[in-house]
Amino acid sequence: MMEGSISNRIRALRFHNGEMSQAELGQRIGLTRQTIAAIEAGKYSPTLEAAFRIAEVFNVPLGEVFQWEAAPTH
Amino acid sequence: MPFRERTAWLSLIAMAVTFGPYFAIIFAGYLPARPLPDLRQLGLFALVSIVRMFILGIGYLYIRYESPQEARTPLDERDRAIKSRSISSAYYVLMFGMVVVGCFMPFSSTGWAIINASLFMIVAAEVVHYGVVVFCYRRQA
Repeated sequence: MMEGSISNRIRALRFHNGEMSQAELGQRIGLTRQTIAAIEAGKYSPTLEAAFRIAEVFNVPLGEVFQWEAAPTH
Repeated sequence: MPFRERTAWLSLIAMAVTFGPYFAIIFAGYLPARPLPDLRQLGLFALVSIVRMFILGIGYLYIRYESPQEARTPLDERDRAIKSRSISSAYYVLMFGMVVVGCFMPFSSTGWAIINASLFMIVAAEVVHYGVVVFCYRRQA
């Protein structure tokens, strides 16, 4: 299986969207502030639906919010 | 700390301060077995249940008063995932307990020994349930 991790740019996107708060983002997509904080910190991977909703809030493609970083192979 | 993590802590604390002493008294043998219905056993269990309900009631009202908006917020996908994981973990503990209590103990024990063993397994399953909730919220905080 391919090893890797998911990173995201939610913090940066919130900043570029008028310093949107975690609570406001959460409210717009039906998640709690704590869940947004966990996603931002990479400690929780959202469902595909929630990921699309986040991308829609920022009006960007999904790939600009979440990135897959493959672990280096030896 | 999220509202749901605090309620899980509350349940764990309520369990520890009520059923902790209860099982300590039972396992230490301070209440020798008597024929059913053993009113001393029944009284102790009733007292523990009332105290636990009191702690949970007061504690829940306080937590709800502290964060009213969060208390009204429905579960989101992460809350549901944590709930599902905690319930499935507790299920295995409960199943193990019910097999021991329901299939083996009737051949060797009677009365309150069986009741207390089943209570113990229910409490153990609840501790696992709320423990997993706290662990998941802590890990993802």
